[in-house]
Amino acid sequence: MSRAGAYTLTAVVVAATGLYAATDGLRALTAEAARRVQIQETRPAVPPFVVEGLQGRRHALRPDSNQVVMVEFIYTTCPTICQTAGGDFAALRDRAVDRGLPVRMLSVSFDPAADGLSELRDYADRHGADGDVWSVARLRPADLQDALRFFRVKAVPDGWGGYQHNAAVLLIDPDGLLVAAYDTGDFDRILAHVEQLS
Amino acid sequence: MRTLSQIPDNAAQQSATKTAAVIKLSIGLSGVVFLLMMIFGLIMRAAQAGWVDLDNALFYQLLTAHGAGMVGTATFSGAAIMWYFLARHVALNATVYIAFLGLFLLGVVLVLGSIFIGGFGGAWNFLFPLPALSGGIWEVGAAVAFCLGYISIGVGFLLYYLEVGYKIARAYGGLLGGLGWRFVWHGDVSRAPPPTVIAAASVTIFNSIGIIFGAIVLVATIVNLLFPEFAIDALMAKNAILFFGHVFINASIYMAVTAVYEVIPEYTGKPWKVSRVFVIAWAVVVIFVQGVYFHHLLQDVNMPKWSMVVGQVMSYGSSVVLIAVTVYSTAVYLKGAAIKWDLSLRLLVLGVIGWGVGTIPAFIDGMVAVNKIMHNTMWVPGHFHTYLLLGEVAMAFGFAAWLVRGRAIRETSALDRFAFGAYVAGGGGFVLMFLWSGASSIPRRWAVHYAQWQLQSQLATVFATVVVLATALLVAGYLRGLLRRGTEQ
Amino acid sequence: MNTVLLSTLCFGAALVLQPMARLDPVAHMLLQYPVLGVSGYLLGLKMPTAPDLRGPLLVLGITCVGFWMLPRSLDAALDSPGMHLAKLVTLPLLAGLPLGMSVPRVGAVLRGFLKAQSLSMLGVLSFLYSHAPIRICNSYLIEDQQRLGAGFLWLAGGLSLLWAVPLFLGHSLMPDLLLQRKKHHDLC
Repeated sequence: MSRAGAYTLTAVVVAATGLYAATDGLRALTAEAARRVQIQETRPAVPPFVVEGLQGRRHALRPDSNQVVMVEFIYTTCPTICQTAGGDFAALRDRAVDRGLPVRMLSVSFDPAADGLSELRDYADRHGADGDVWSVARLRPADLQDALRFFRVKAVPDGWGGYQHNAAVLLIDPDGLLVAAYDTGDFDRILAHVEQLS
Repeated sequence: MRTLSQIPDNAAQQSATKTAAVIKLSIGLSGVVFLLMMIFGLIMRAAQAGWVDLDNALFYQLLTAHGAGMVGTATFSGAAIMWYFLARHVALNATVYIAFLGLFLLGVVLVLGSIFIGGFGGAWNFLFPLPALSGGIWEVGAAVAFCLGYISIGVGFLLYYLEVGYKIARAYGGLLGGLGWRFVWHGDVSRAPPPTVIAAASVTIFNSIGIIFGAIVLVATIVNLLFPEFAIDALMAKNAILFFGHVFINASIYMAVTAVYEVIPEYTGKPWKVSRVFVIAWAVVVIFVQGVYFHHLLQDVNMPKWSMVVGQVMSYGSSVVLIAVTVYSTAVYLKGAAIKWDLSLRLLVLGVIGWGVGTIPAFIDGMVAVNKIMHNTMWVPGHFHTYLLLGEVAMAFGFAAWLVRGRAIRETSALDRFAFGAYVAGGGGFVLMFLWSGASSIPRRWAVHYAQWQLQSQLATVFATVVVLATALLVAGYLRGLLRRGTEQ
Repeated sequence: MNTVLLSTLCFGAALVLQPMARLDPVAHMLLQYPVLGVSGYLLGLKMPTAPDLRGPLLVLGITCVGFWMLPRSLDAALDSPGMHLAKLVTLPLLAGLPLGMSVPRVGAVLRGFLKAQSLSMLGVLSFLYSHAPIRICNSYLIEDQQRLGAGFLWLAGGLSLLWAVPLFLGHSLMPDLLLQRKKHHDLC
């Protein structure tokens, strides 16, 4: 082979390796896919964030029990994706209860300015989040930025007073580690993972 | 204008020898692959006839291999023919052809591997979302390998057309000059580029565009296979695939026909002249061949209505003019001349006739009203087998016979006459069985046929056996000719 | 001197475009990326290059462009200051510069091949961005993503005209012709 050919071939190998690494081994082309791959691999410990529940009481985002917690981030005035996500969460709750899985579920508003306690209650009523298994809460403004950064939630104002955001079901294991993120409708894989954790 | 004569004789001689050698190799490979793919076809027809017990998954693998293999080889042999004759008019770089050949063979290995090792059976057209939804019959990797094989073949063809396009553009003042369009309105048409150059310029334009669309949908399919969250729009994918597929298979005949332009004059003693009508006919091909693919989507109810109209109208117009010109000219050139009919000439003329006849069932299927009923029947393989088996492939074997013919034209030997007769009779009967099946509403692409559909398949199996035998004789004759000429030199 | 000035202007334009790039993926990918690339490309045109290095430089440039075309890189450039800085440095120096040093000096067939490939890649991107049912970038709205898909298609259309017209008419082929003729004799 000519020298130019050898150099080029080497460059191709290096470039392919680089792109392989830059996509987490061809698993993630998007930031959202990368978030999910990286959460599964790094399993970071969830900091002690505090949220405000429906009655205005403050409690830890992760209840101090040996249960798996499913968290999703929402804003209640959302006309589209959060309503779907809310419906998905209700379906997920029903299936988890049917299978007798010990799990806590929490919908957390990332828009505490617009989501007052009454909006949160409306949202809970609409989807049947009775606080038994599934409760609704909002982040405290002081924790907001840290929590969004930790969970890698990104909300982009949509110009109509709402947001487009990367909705996902986040799993926290009994040891308080964030272990996975799934599409909100990916029931089978979510429940299989919960079963394996508990 | 730059022609071979302006290159130093020695270099030209060397380049011509090299070109001739790789073209002979390509045609030999094509012949062997044609034969193999015909055997696959024979097995499928025998299975449909109920004579052979074939696993259904294997049937669809054979169907995929036969479709991809025949389209690929037809276009490959067409490309070899056109390169050979275009090199008479412009100085082509043989290295590019060798790269094309290498990429083509790599693609063939990937495609065959994906089918017979990976179990891929999603048909030549890999329609979304079938490659991703195999129901466990094949893994994602097999579908990806299949697409990568196509991409490798596409890249090879792209290099081929770039070289052809650049050389024509250089020698004839741009591709537009190569098309000879300015002679349509005024000027002395005897100064227009030779027929082979006009054909090559035309094919280069439309097939490069086709390949670019093919590459788009192939890469998008691979992305979808590896990252299912990147869904693709199914209708858009179908449009791109059939545009690419239609243009690509059409290119095979439009390239092979250069053999008619270049070889028949050796028999008639009269050069193939470029007329105004000839230039117009090729201009129509360049434009229409790109709009006619809509006739593949006449059953897709969510396609816009205008696309159906375009599909039907262009089906009438796309190739008629050129075929009429070619058939008519062939007849005029051959008429009255004292001609020795050897195997090469017979096959080339058969190719012209098969090409012309094949458009009749194509027309019929191109009508919206007929298409609604006929499109998923055997009618469709009937029409394209007519102008491939009796058109393109006949031209390719005609070229092959010419390559090993020797300097003097000899009358056809008894064996060659037998092979030719068997090819015509077997091929004719074989395509008629498809058309009869189609007219009887027997579906295409089905591994298992009801008993009342089997008669046509059984007759077709007999005809297919005859074609396979005739083809084996033609391939053997070519290889023997190569050896004989090798020892003569 | 003119080249350096023009290159600096391009780089300056990229900095000015930053607030727009944050809001609009079309401004980010189809305006800021190209001017960053061009600022390096212009410098590359003037750099001497050993023929042996053209291949590796070409690969480097294409890889760097490919990396920044990944949707996650687009997000990362907005979310992390380090990646933002990396974008401003690498698009001119590791994409534009090596491409400027290699593309104009490779053979006509290879260059035509690169052009055809970039057209089909723009088509693929257009396909994916305009029809993906999900948001590909977390930083941008789905409507903007679809606009970006359309933008790729317009760019592909524009470039194909720009590249095809001279080929058809055979005018601007003259410089290629001179380059080619020399190469051609080497190969034969």
